[in-house]
Order: sequence, then C-alpha cells, then structure tokens
Amino acid sequence: MAQHRGHDAFHARANALRPPFALSLLRSAWPLFACLALAIVLQLVIRPMMPVFAAKMLLDIGTSIILAVSLTMVNGFTGQFSIGHAAFMAVGAYVGATIVYYGSFRLFGNANMHGGLLSGMIDSRNPLPLFSWADLLFLCSLLAGGLAAAACGYVVGLPSLRLKGDYLAIVTLGFGEIVRVLIQSQTTEVLSNPQTIAATPMYMWPKYSGGALGFSGLPFYSSLFWVWVFAGLTLLVAARLKYSSTGRAFLAIREDEVAAEAMGVPTTKYKVRAFVIAAFFAGIAGVLFAHTVGVQLNPGELGFLKSFDILIMVVLGGLGSISGAALAATILTILPELLRQPPTIWPWGLIAGVVLAAALTPFSEKRWKPAVTIAVILIAWEVMRWTARTLGVDLAGYRMVIYAIALVLMMILRPEGLLGIREIWELRPVRAGGRGKGARR
Amino acid sequence: MSDSPAANPRPVLDVERISIAFGGLKAVTDFTLQLPRGRLHGLIGPNGAGKTTVFNLLTGVYRPTSGAISLEGESLLGMRPSQRAAAGLARTFQNIRLFPDLTVLDNVRVACHLRTRHTLAGTLWRSSLAAGEELAIIERSRELLDILGLLHRERDDARNLPYGDQRRLEIARALATDPKVLLLDEPAAGMNPQEKIELRTMIRSIRDKFSLTILLIEHDMGVVMGLCERITVLDHGVTITEGTPEEVQKNPKVIEAYLGEPVALDAVAGGGGA
Repeated sequence: MAQHRGHDAFHARANALRPPFALSLLRSAWPLFACLALAIVLQLVIRPMMPVFAAKMLLDIGTSIILAVSLTMVNGFTGQFSIGHAAFMAVGAYVGATIVYYGSFRLFGNANMHGGLLSGMIDSRNPLPLFSWADLLFLCSLLAGGLAAAACGYVVGLPSLRLKGDYLAIVTLGFGEIVRVLIQSQTTEVLSNPQTIAATPMYMWPKYSGGALGFSGLPFYSSLFWVWVFAGLTLLVAARLKYSSTGRAFLAIREDEVAAEAMGVPTTKYKVRAFVIAAFFAGIAGVLFAHTVGVQLNPGELGFLKSFDILIMVVLGGLGSISGAALAATILTILPELLRQPPTIWPWGLIAGVVLAAALTPFSEKRWKPAVTIAVILIAWEVMRWTARTLGVDLAGYRMVIYAIALVLMMILRPEGLLGIREIWELRPVRAGGRGKGARR
Repeated sequence: MSDSPAANPRPVLDVERISIAFGGLKAVTDFTLQLPRGRLHGLIGPNGAGKTTVFNLLTGVYRPTSGAISLEGESLLGMRPSQRAAAGLARTFQNIRLFPDLTVLDNVRVACHLRTRHTLAGTLWRSSLAAGEELAIIERSRELLDILGLLHRERDDARNLPYGDQRRLEIARALATDPKVLLLDEPAAGMNPQEKIELRTMIRSIRDKFSLTILLIEHDMGVVMGLCERITVLDHGVTITEGTPEEVQKNPKVIEAYLGEPVALDAVAGGGGA
C-alpha cells in the first residue's frame, strides 16, 4: 500500500527510540491505577467526612466534567459544532437503566441497590461488602450505555461529518429531538412485578421505560467512585489524544480542514473518530446521571437545553482546552447551587482572592488585571447580596437570571474562554517588560 | 503514453490531458505534463490562467472531468487529497494555510502523522510503539525546521511568524509528509529581494537533499527563470507552450498572453508579475 512507502528510515528510528517494554507498560498504566485509587479514597474516606450536599455536588461535578471534556473532543479539538451531546447521554442513560433495572429484577428479584461499598451515596445497608455482583452489573450497564451511544455517534456522524460548516449542528440538533420524542412516545408503563418481568422477553424491556413520565424506580448506583473513575478516564483519554499524532490531526482539522487534508489527514475518518469517542463518554455520563440520587430519568431533561448547558461549559472553558472545560464544568455546576443561598464570602473570599490574584499575576501581561478582576467579582457578589437583603428579594428565584448575566459578561470580557486553546499546565509566565512569546527572538 | 522510448525514463508525475469545467467555464483544458525525477518545473501564466486550478486537480481538491494523473505509475484519480499526500504528493498554498493556533513544531508534526503505524488503541494506551513514533516524529520535525532555519521559533504559534517564515514553514510542513513530488504555489509571494535569492538556493538544496521533483507556480520571473529547468505557460486554461526558460522567453505567444501585444521580451523578464 501507499501508506508504508519509503518510511523505512523513520520506522527504524522509531523502533530505536521505543522505550523498554516494562517502562512503557508502567507509563501507560500508572494513571489508570492512580485514578482508581483516588476514586476509591474519595468514596471510602473523603465522602463520609463530607456533608451530604457537598458529596452530591462533587458527584454532579464529576458527571459534568465527563460531559464537557468529551464534548471538547468534538467541538474543541476537531472544531465541529455538535449541539446534540445530551442525546448521546439519553441513549446511554436508557440503555444502562434498562439493563440495571430489569437485570436487577432477574438477578435479585427487585430493583433495590445491591451494590457494595463502592456504589451508591448512602450507606443504608449493613454490613456492606466491598464488592458485590451488582457492581459488575452496573459496570456492564455503563459500558453498554457507552457503546450504544458510540454506535449512534457512528451512525449520525458518518454521513453528517462528510459535510462542512453548520450541517453537523443541524443534524445533531435533529438527532437530539428524535431521541427525545422517540423515548417520550413509548408507553408510560414501568414493569415492577417480578412475575410479569420474568414473563416478558428481554427484547421487550426497552419498551417499558416510562416514556414521557420518566423511568421511575431506578436504583441509585452512582457514587463518587464510579463518577470519578470515569471522569478520570475521560480526562486521561482527552489528554492522551491531545498530545498525540491523532490529537494533532484533530486540531489541524479545526484549524484548517483543507490544509489538514492536504497534509495527509483523512479528515472525515478523524472527525468520525472524535465524534464516536465523545459519544461513548456521553453515554457513560448518561448512565451515571440516570442512577444518581435525586434524579428521575426523564426524556424532557435530556433535550437540547441540556446539550446547550454542556456546550456552554466547553465554550466558557475555551474551545480545545481540556482543563478549561473541566474548570468551567466545575464552576457552572457549583454556581447555580451557590446562588440559591449566596453565602457571604468576605472572610474566605478575601483570602482566596488575594492568593488567586497573586498566583495569576505572573501569567498576565497586564499585572493588575487578575487582582482587579477578582476584586470586581468579590464586590459584585457582596453588592448582589446586600441589594437582595435590602429589597427583601429571595435570590433563589433569580439565580438563573444572575447565572445568565454572568455568562454574558464572561463572553463579552473573555470571548476565547477561560483558557483559550491552552491547558493550565501549558501557561507560561510572562516576563516583566515584554511579551512572553515575542521576547524569545 | 506508456510506450515512451527508453531514452526518456518513466516520469514520476504523469499528467495526461486533464480538463475541468465549472459550469460553462473551461478552467483547464487538456493539461499535459510529464515530470522526470529531479525536475524543477515552472508553471506560469497571467492571473486567472488556471495555475492554481491545476494544483487543485493534481492534489485532488477538484476532480477532473477527463484525463489521467499518475504518480510513479499509480493512478491518483479517485483518491482523496489525504490519500494523494500519502502516495507522495505534497503542496503549499498560495494564500498561506498554516494551522495558526498550533506551534511551529506542531504544524510540522501534523504532517508527520501519516508515517505512523500505531493504532488509535495504541494512542490511548500510549503503547511503546506509539511512544517511539512520537519521539521519532519530534526528531524528524526538528530536523526539518533546522533545515529551513525555523528551529529557534519552534515553540511560537504559527500565527506569530513573519510572512517569509510562514512560507518557509509551509514548505517544512509539506516536506514532513515525505513527498516524491512537491507542488509550490507562489513560494516567493510577498518576499523581499534578499529573501527571494535565499529562496532560490533553498528550493534547489531541498530538491537535491530530498531527491524531490518540484513543480512551482510563480509570478516572479526572476525566480522562475533562474530556478526552473523547464517551464509550462498557461493562458485561459490552455497550455501555450512548454520549454526551457530561454525558449519560453522568446515565444511570441507568451509575450502576447502577458502583455496583449508583441513587444520586446525584456519587459517580460524584468517586469515581474505583470
């Protein structure tokens, strides 16, 4: 094939530079183990010490990070504009939920949470085993949800990613609506009688998923462990992609599709690749979302508004920045909750503000900018609280308005997003008296 | 045709009577070109003559309505631009098309990607093969940047390079695909006289160093006449003539195409891009 013509010298050099097998294995595997260990510590050690609402917050942040970082691979890396990410989430959620719900009935005779210590957010049963077969069921449903979403991503992406421009946006939007309407139009029945379920053939299970009323009675398997294992995995995959030949090919497509193609990047194939990987993680996030405490899986919740929520995180973080997307996902998940009952931030806020401003100063060309920005945020926050108190207004009712204003301001003041295309670890301090980049000459 | 005499070795790039029409406009008609290995060939013609269209036909951006293109005997018709790049056809662009937000090094590294053998799974797992190839890519890219004198700017964003450096970076990037035939679309555009002289030396040296066959479009007659061994002249999509620089300069049809009426040829040679 033409593929391997004349690259013998390169291949020989690449072989010479190959790290030894053991070292390579260690480098490949350690982040997985680190991520697993962190998630276990988070679930078993840190969660019991946290207030319940904080743990729930941390759970939601993890899910948001999976969604935002996976969408970054499409919208950020390859520059394609997908606005149907929640649809892949919905596909994953319903596939996963069906497996877990009806699978539980087959295996345990009811749909309660049967997981061990690593599953769930409430330690209700006693004593809990570290591991139970139900955990395996949940893991399988996570992977099945991811794979189903990835398959949908392939089917949607293959025809639409051949086209340039806004077509993908329209197709993904349409796909999202199709998925939502398809689920909503199903029967509202959810089987809950073990005998009926035993009598129903497996292929009929997806039909009884609650339709427009939502899939009720799902066990709450999602835990800090599951969410953060997969958040870690998503971050790892995104980072390994970005710093690889494949990832650079993705970025090249975003930068200039014609030039990328001319330099030997098969653009359609690579766009589909990014799209399928992103859909896989969205599917997993969907399964996690469906089994979260306090969530009632409902097709209405996974419509295009949810897609836009994810899109906002990606744009706000900076298109193409993994750490930016993760940061924005964290902030935008906390902010609406924080605005319910805006706490005073003077004592801690002042300390945090000063530390943050000092940390950011070396990276800013205008040295006063971080300090001023943080000061303005702190003052605006206090003014907001004071006004609400004086007027006797309950801010919780207006929180989405405030949230929207914050987004608009952000886009006006920093249109490239928090980090642009860069990552946190790529920021280089600006040397005094000159631009960091230009000063090198 | 394939029954060419033994004295004329098989051309690296063989273009047989390709034509393309956009609606009723015949942009290129029966363009024929045979490039033997190592040839430095010029493609000139007035504005709108169809030179860049020929490049787009060769690289697969457009599909010719008739004709055949083959690279070392392998037909390129029906291949996507990326497959043609993999087959050994690289190009630069008239209006620079770098990846502006990527660093200089990454611009070149992108083009190295088609040498790699590791799979997507290898990428995600960071297999030993993937790691070795990534290191080899860095090494190769820096080598190319060094040859084109851009190594000191490897960490800058491509957008921040001065114009002449951007042109050279495009050449470095094209070289990274390990081409057999390199198509240069107005490499001297926007360069000052000093840079043009350096460019001529540089193009010759990369041709020898990488045993390339080069086809270049250029408006600057000084560069074309001083550099190319043979020249094809296009006007309104039709090949007027093909020959050595001296032959082309003397050809009255060429002078007519550029100036509209027969005048002294010094006007063409000295007058630049007309």
